[in-house]
Amino acid sequence: MTSEYLLRSLLMLILALFSANASNWLYLAKLSSLGSISDEETCEKLRGLIQRQVQICKRNVEVMDAVRRGAQLAIDECQFQFRNRRWNCSTLETVPVFGKVVTQGTREAAFVYAISAASVAFAVTRACSSGELEKCGCDRNVHGVSPEGFQWSGCSDNIAYGVAFSQSFVDVRERSKGQSSSRALMNLHNNEAGRKAILNHMRVECKCHGVSGSCEVKTCWKAMPPFRKVGNVIKEKFDGATEVEQRKVGTTKVLVPRNSQFKPHTDEDLVYLDPSPDFCDYDPRTPGMLGTAGRYCNKTSKAIDGCELMCCGRGFHTEEVEVVDRCSCKFHWCCYVKCKQCRKMVEMHTCR
Amino acid sequence: MAGAIIENMSTKKLVIVGIILLLFQVFSFMVGGLIAPSPTSAVHYLAAKCVDSVKSHQPKKWFMPWGPNQCEKIRTFDEAMARRIEANNIVFAVHIPLPQKEMSPWFQFMLVILQFDIAFKMYNQIEDGAMVTIDVGLAYRDDTVSEWTEMAHSVEQRKLNCNFTTAKTFENEGRYYECDLLPFMEVGSVAHKYYLLNIRLPVSERKKVNIGIGEVKDIRLVGIHQNGGFTKVWFAMKTFLTPSILIIMIWYWRRITLMTRPPVLLEKVIFALGISMTFINIPVEWFSVGFNWTWMLLFGDIRQGIFYAMLLSFWIIFCGEHLMDQTERNRFSMYWKQVGPIVFGSFCLFIFDMCERGVQLTNPFYSIWATDVGTELAMAFIIVAGICACLYFLFLCFMVFQVFRNISGKRSALPAMTKARRLHYEGLIFRFKFLMLVTLACAAMTVIFFIISQVNEGHWHWGDYTVQVNSAFFTGIYGMWNLYVFAIMFLYAPSHKRYGDEHSSGDQGANSGEDIQLTTTITHVDGPTEIFKMTGKTSQE
Repeated sequence: MTSEYLLRSLLMLILALFSANASNWLYLAKLSSLGSISDEETCEKLRGLIQRQVQICKRNVEVMDAVRRGAQLAIDECQFQFRNRRWNCSTLETVPVFGKVVTQGTREAAFVYAISAASVAFAVTRACSSGELEKCGCDRNVHGVSPEGFQWSGCSDNIAYGVAFSQSFVDVRERSKGQSSSRALMNLHNNEAGRKAILNHMRVECKCHGVSGSCEVKTCWKAMPPFRKVGNVIKEKFDGATEVEQRKVGTTKVLVPRNSQFKPHTDEDLVYLDPSPDFCDYDPRTPGMLGTAGRYCNKTSKAIDGCELMCCGRGFHTEEVEVVDRCSCKFHWCCYVKCKQCRKMVEMHTCR
Repeated sequence: MAGAIIENMSTKKLVIVGIILLLFQVFSFMVGGLIAPSPTSAVHYLAAKCVDSVKSHQPKKWFMPWGPNQCEKIRTFDEAMARRIEANNIVFAVHIPLPQKEMSPWFQFMLVILQFDIAFKMYNQIEDGAMVTIDVGLAYRDDTVSEWTEMAHSVEQRKLNCNFTTAKTFENEGRYYECDLLPFMEVGSVAHKYYLLNIRLPVSERKKVNIGIGEVKDIRLVGIHQNGGFTKVWFAMKTFLTPSILIIMIWYWRRITLMTRPPVLLEKVIFALGISMTFINIPVEWFSVGFNWTWMLLFGDIRQGIFYAMLLSFWIIFCGEHLMDQTERNRFSMYWKQVGPIVFGSFCLFIFDMCERGVQLTNPFYSIWATDVGTELAMAFIIVAGICACLYFLFLCFMVFQVFRNISGKRSALPAMTKARRLHYEGLIFRFKFLMLVTLACAAMTVIFFIISQVNEGHWHWGDYTVQVNSAFFTGIYGMWNLYVFAIMFLYAPSHKRYGDEHSSGDQGANSGEDIQLTTTITHVDGPTEIFKMTGKTSQE
């Protein structure tokens, strides 16, 4: 009896650990050496996927390259958006990619989940439009997958497929546990908020092509926003994220703002459960907690990138460095830059 | 034109006819809203970046973005930078349609919009008035294995109209410019299954070609075609409408020829309206399914233009013939002042259309809006046409005003007139008011539905049903104007009593039944005989 109880609790613990690292699949971004994911066997070898994700991988092998690009996109965008913050989204070569920083239910975790769910939807949609995937769009139509369906009524937007795939692939971890824990609820909410950041910022574009090009006949479509814009939107949501706690309403568990004075969060808002650490110091016990020592800071800024805040009051070094900069450049639209080299002296400040 | 059917019909019959027409009207809306899919669909394409590594530049090499024999692709231009690939060696490839799909002649036309994704860089901004030069080739094939056949090749210039909405700082590097959509290609028939576009952006510093267009990240295309389902419903509708208008037209003309007097101007105009309606209706588009007729799009424009011009002329002449100011009109030349603007305006639009869609017959990438001169020319044509339209509506409104003024003038004088004269004028007033009412209703419907189709997103969900509002707009409005022409030809046809006993000989075929019915109708109306007396009188007048 006791052994069984122990075993069960151990199992729960393992499960809980696993669920906390639901963004492990982001490790795909680190697998660039693997070449393209082309057959089902590769799915088994991918690190960071749970069993259900491996199944999805096997069923949608052609999509996995896009998922991997999405993971890379998420990390790049995270690093861009957090370049001036104490935690700058730096990755490790291990699973989980961001270390233990995202295993707690912090704001940062909320951002990572949102941006990664969005990036998968984005990358899959892009792959659809570039013809890399064969079953986009049309399979969500009433008339089925047949070419007649396309002929009769065209195809639905690729974004629907991208979002649906993101929902099945990214959310599967949380869904598999029956949405019980508050953390799962938080992750699901943030994933959805990330996808909403794309869906709610689709640009409607129209073309008139009636008689003599008049607007008698007009076709409109929705264009996906650039990913930088999606990143900016999610970053804004990060800045205004709501701290929540789990509460039972009837039979279902829901997340409600911890401070009842605040108005309830919407579908697009990010939510978090735990306050963030200050990210000031290196902590060997917490992978990914690199601290801000050695980071560059801005002496004149009063914001988070300013030396005061960035260095957590430890002070900073100042040194004068000669920077070789490019100047009076000639550009082509692609792949060609011819510049002169200009040298200039710049004061660099680094945190102690 | 005196003694039309409409005057001799009892109110009851008129209501019945109205209800039948209304039923057809509802039916035509339902056909579009419930059976047809949305009229057009837009497909997004993201161009693959192929590397043209062959130094010798084989003359006819086509780059496939995916599938077997796909080109050597690069993901980003950073990769190209690292591998020292030059801009001139990059080919953007787009295959239309997406994998596992086929284009079909039912799509009727295909137009392609071009969009550049240009990232903002502090040191590599888009220059003011930057022009992008596009070297583009279009090829087709009808199965997945054969070679590509070139369909068109052209070097086009497009003006980049981009603006950067946020501050131009280092912080915002990497954000994209917001660029206007560029018209790219228009093909008037989709006869082949697969199309391939290869786009190059050649750079030449010496000739200042493609310099200062910023950092191009991606090329996106949007392909628009008519949905096959909509085309089928549309064709079915046309095929059904053609004989109905044709039959009523023949019936109408027979009635006129059976009269002793030559047809008056208004009768001729109504007949011409019928002809132009039939001209639109005749479903010659069926041929586009079998033949590669790229001029179908242009032909459709011309047919619509003729109908619109005819309809506008009809309104003017109808008003003119009901002016009741004792002036002898009944000649087309009397109306040159009013019809002139219509003809001139239509002509302007025709020239404009020829300049755009006409030239596109030879070069599908041509766009009159691409150059400044072209834009000015196009704007000039459109503005002149707009002025003509305004002029026309001023004339029309003035004429309608005149008619109403004369009507109120006549009203007061009516009791003093002889019975025949009074009936003549009452008939005129009734005919005019009826048409006025119907026309206003039709025009209002058109405008309302046009606005609805413009503002909403194209379909409404009604429980389990999805109503395609845009399709309903097209089929409903098309059906409405057909019914309008039908009703005019039927109701404004000269009354059968003109040729008295002829129909009793029984060789009138299908029409005789209708005639007998009308005879019975007229006996219920007060004083029909007076009308017939009066008709004799009008011919004397």
